[in-house]
Amino acid sequence: MPDTVTVQIPTALRPQVDNQSTMNIEGATVGQVLGSIKSKYPDFGKRLYKSDDELNRFINVFVNDEDIRFLDNLNTPLKPGDEVAIVPAIAGG
Amino acid sequence: MTQSLDRYHRQILLPCFGEEGQRKLLGSTALILGCGALGTMNASMLARAGVGRLIIIDRDFIELTNLQRQILFNEADVANAIPKAAAAKEKLSGINSDIEIISVVDDINHANLERYCGLTEGSEYPRVDVIVDGVDNFETRYLANDVAVKHGIPYIYGGAVGTFGAQYAILPHTEKGDAPWEKLPGATPCLRCIFEQMPPPGLTPTCDTVGVLGPVVSIIANLEVVETIKVLLGNFAAVRPTMLNIDVWENTYRQLKIAKAYDVGDCPCCKHRKFEFIDGFFGSSTTTLCGRNAVQLTHKQGHVGTGSHSGGGGMNFDEIADRLRKHGKVTANKFMIRAELTDNGNPYELTLFTDGRAIVKGTKESNIARSIYAKYVGA
Repeated sequence: MPDTVTVQIPTALRPQVDNQSTMNIEGATVGQVLGSIKSKYPDFGKRLYKSDDELNRFINVFVNDEDIRFLDNLNTPLKPGDEVAIVPAIAGG
Repeated sequence: MTQSLDRYHRQILLPCFGEEGQRKLLGSTALILGCGALGTMNASMLARAGVGRLIIIDRDFIELTNLQRQILFNEADVANAIPKAAAAKEKLSGINSDIEIISVVDDINHANLERYCGLTEGSEYPRVDVIVDGVDNFETRYLANDVAVKHGIPYIYGGAVGTFGAQYAILPHTEKGDAPWEKLPGATPCLRCIFEQMPPPGLTPTCDTVGVLGPVVSIIANLEVVETIKVLLGNFAAVRPTMLNIDVWENTYRQLKIAKAYDVGDCPCCKHRKFEFIDGFFGSSTTTLCGRNAVQLTHKQGHVGTGSHSGGGGMNFDEIADRLRKHGKVTANKFMIRAELTDNGNPYELTLFTDGRAIVKGTKESNIARSIYAKYVGA
């Protein structure tokens, strides 16, 4: 079992993280994991976060396909091997 | 042609259909909102399946770059500059002459959508049983969501861009709580429960800025058609309660569990029954600029960009400028971006300001200006 969780980066946010599609990050909560990416990639943070401790409301984050708003938001606990998916609204058609 | 059911034999054979199901479809009305890549596939499959009445609304004309994925159109439509809704009606009439197809060439907005859904007094349109999403922007989707929730009409969301897409069926919470789906399996969260806020213009990729793979839109459109048919057959228990997100290039298929969004959230639309997009409180408004052959678009939801380091979800001017450079000459400074674009053979000048305003020069038509904005900036 890896010590990290996998974060799925949506296409629209990849330019802000050196075009990585997934990242393996250590952290005990969603907030720690996203905060860790944010401190390394500030532009990513600006897209994702509304304020220091609140995400923009047009982006949803899922842990193992469960929306973190129905878990414990940024305090949602993570265990190694969990998958965190950042899912923006899709506008095209 | 007679109303024989012979042509539907292969689907009548399905246990979930039968002749009764087929007659339900033939007695139904579906609104197809937008007739691009999603909408052409929606319309084609629903016409073939024998949905008795289709209302198809679209504001655009067919362009050569549409043919890669918009399955009802051909080169002659491009050469003859046919509106999408009219061309769709012509093609569909040749596919199924048993059904009625109503085409509307218009910009969908807060002042007309309820009328096109047959929901206003004196509307010349039949009341629709379902709204099928074929649009290319979020503003129209939130408006459709408002109409769906206000009037208790199922709304089938679909969106696709690049190599990914999402699909989800909204069986709305109604005022009285007496819609057939509210007993079993229960209403589902609305689009605003899930995406609480509209993404700011320019932040979401559009098919015209980042491209789109034809099959992914067809797949999403067909998933919409499946859910539409379930709804029209009254088989609400079969409707998938999850939001399906797929990326056909990266081979990811997720069923996102969003069922709790209504209970946990505080949705202004389906919980508080405030229909801000119908009321015109949110969304964009357009003003034709007198004597300038130009239209100004103003967004009412606060999307303030502050140049290249915009925060709080504002527009990122550097990124938008980069995208626009793929389509024409771009000049930019800290106050604005100006792009010279050619769309459907006509030249336009699009100017974006940091306060979220946009001016489209080269037209006096608000629907053309909104179309240019939705394609090249996004909403």
